[in-house]
Amino acid sequence: MESRDAHAARISDSDVARGPELGRVAKAGYVPMPGRREYVTIALLAVEIVIFALLVPNFLHPNNVSTVLRNATELAIVSIGMTMVMVLGGIDVSVGSALGVVAIVVAWQIQTGMHPLAIALVALVAGMAIGLMNGALVTWVRIPAIITTLGTMNILRAAVFGMLGGRWITGLPPVFAGLTAGSFLGVPMSVYLMMVLYLIFWYLLTFTPFGRHIYAVGNNAEAAVLVGINVKRTQILTYMLLGSLVGVASLLYVGRLGSVEITVGQDLAIQSIAAVVIGGTSVLGGRGSLVGTLAGVLFMAFMRNGIVLLGVPSLWERAIIGALVILSAAVDLLVERRTARHRLAERSIKRASASSISSTIPGALRAGDGSTAGGAATPGSQ
Amino acid sequence: MIMGTKHIRAVGWLLYRLLSNRVYFLLGVMIVVVVIMSGISPYFFALDNMLGMTRFGAVLALVALGQTLIIVAGGGGIDLSVGSMVSLCSVVIGLASQAGLNIWVAALTGVLAGLVLGAVNGVNVVWIGIPPLIGTLGTLYTYGALALVLTGGVPISGFPDSFGFIGQGDIFGVPAQVVLLVLPAYLMLQFVASKTVFGRRIYLTGVNETAARFAGIPVKKVRFVLYTLSGVLAGLGAVVMTSWLLTARPDIGSGLELQSITVAVLGGTNIFGGEGTLHGTILAVLIVTMVASGLQLANINPIWQLAVLGFILLGAVALNQSIGRLTMRRRGAISE
Repeated sequence: MESRDAHAARISDSDVARGPELGRVAKAGYVPMPGRREYVTIALLAVEIVIFALLVPNFLHPNNVSTVLRNATELAIVSIGMTMVMVLGGIDVSVGSALGVVAIVVAWQIQTGMHPLAIALVALVAGMAIGLMNGALVTWVRIPAIITTLGTMNILRAAVFGMLGGRWITGLPPVFAGLTAGSFLGVPMSVYLMMVLYLIFWYLLTFTPFGRHIYAVGNNAEAAVLVGINVKRTQILTYMLLGSLVGVASLLYVGRLGSVEITVGQDLAIQSIAAVVIGGTSVLGGRGSLVGTLAGVLFMAFMRNGIVLLGVPSLWERAIIGALVILSAAVDLLVERRTARHRLAERSIKRASASSISSTIPGALRAGDGSTAGGAATPGSQ
Repeated sequence: MIMGTKHIRAVGWLLYRLLSNRVYFLLGVMIVVVVIMSGISPYFFALDNMLGMTRFGAVLALVALGQTLIIVAGGGGIDLSVGSMVSLCSVVIGLASQAGLNIWVAALTGVLAGLVLGAVNGVNVVWIGIPPLIGTLGTLYTYGALALVLTGGVPISGFPDSFGFIGQGDIFGVPAQVVLLVLPAYLMLQFVASKTVFGRRIYLTGVNETAARFAGIPVKKVRFVLYTLSGVLAGLGAVVMTSWLLTARPDIGSGLELQSITVAVLGGTNIFGGEGTLHGTILAVLIVTMVASGLQLANINPIWQLAVLGFILLGAVALNQSIGRLTMRRRGAISE
């Protein structure tokens, strides 16, 4: 017992000795920069593009690439919000139905001939209101995110049916054509919009207190409360931001298709969750980045395009998406568990050697040698 | 001052007792639903209508029994893939029958397919450790898409009429699937959950996983068995559905995931595990089925059932949460 206490004291001594170093880290602040996991997704994306380019002759033709990008903008924009919600430790399966409801509202306003900017504002506010509803149920009523959004998904889906009344909205005037059909330097305008949003939200997540709060809450909500983070406000704001991004996406949806069908946004939630998970965001919350998400979105977009060009029946698409979700979550977890074990082992070796050096100053070298061997045995016995 | 604080407190206590015993609460809700629906339609309260209605709840009941036990076993346990499993098992039955197998052998194949699909979920969630939400969301899509791919999206029909007995027949005026499958499954699982060591293990695993581990309970094995059981029940559900419609449709089970979670939660299952009874789930199935067929009798578009289900789900969880908080407060008061 006595020796263990002494051991503990020595560990804290050595931590104090490392004090300045820790202090420097704290001063620089924790910046959730993309790590190895994101580079893996980017590498996967590159491999995918090379494979499809070899198999499909016209895959890299600018027209095809620009079509893929244009069709991916809605998914990409919704996935920004999904990343934030999942880093927070939540999830939102209602985004597809929410996009449907907002798209119908937008379509109605286009039919009444409102000013495009006013319509855009209404879409943002409507999306934000839906986000607020989800966020309030999760935060204040304390209904788990998956249950909340399963419920609202169905309520909103019923609302889509009710609002459409069994008839599609078609033949809308191209109010947002400049945004969706126009292009600059061969790149669709909506892709520029997407890139700008990614930059803004990347900055928000990486360099602002609010962004760090999202990571903190996702890592450990109780600790976040204890260091004075307003967890509830962070949660509600995050869901509202996701809602407003869904609003933006619904503008693009209506602008791109000029119509609203009954199946609007049907697979959006699973695709977005898949893109985010493939992009390396931890399904347990607390880890993830928009760089990875963007790579995940592009991976999904090129996959859909590639398998269609290869002539694979489109029925397979959902099976592939589902399998990808499971696969990437599984690989992440296995890798994470391995690195955690690795780190634990490393730390105990370091501690054992550091503590014995600091305690036995004379003859430090010999004692250090001896305890390193002892320390190395520790992880094995655990 | 007719109502003093004392009276208010007494009323509050009564309400609390009523709400905290889920079986009584659900019986109360059921009476209210029956009264309202009888007001809407005079046909509702006829005995054969009431019995006939249980036919509509049979598949949901089977699937919800598994869902309840998975949620009770805790660890964020949930099975979002039940609907897709029912679809895929139905397709397997159809393909097996098309391949010339005896229809009852084909039905057994469907149930075995359910066992395999459930076990795959179990491996993903329990052994690999993917959060149940993501793992079963993935299989929701994969299984559903496989059902579509295997049939090319076209329903399979041409089953022998004798197969229709399970789904369409009656035994002493009660739908055959209820007598043959739902009641036996319910009674057996209820016995297992409340009277056997395995059943106690399910609950302890859900109440406190760490304590369960220290008590020597093989937590992973318990959960794995439950995911597999959910698959088997989905397979049985597929048999009932296929026999009822005499068609194997690749989308036959869609929507069951939401319905089963809704009835489990309405039945008093705590979404965080450790709490819940099969009695409650079965009562909740009856209520949801009554509401659905009542809406149908009242000629309300079935689309709105989605919204009603959504509201019931949110309301039920909110109710569970607030009762849980009240109970905690009372227990805190007692221990002081």
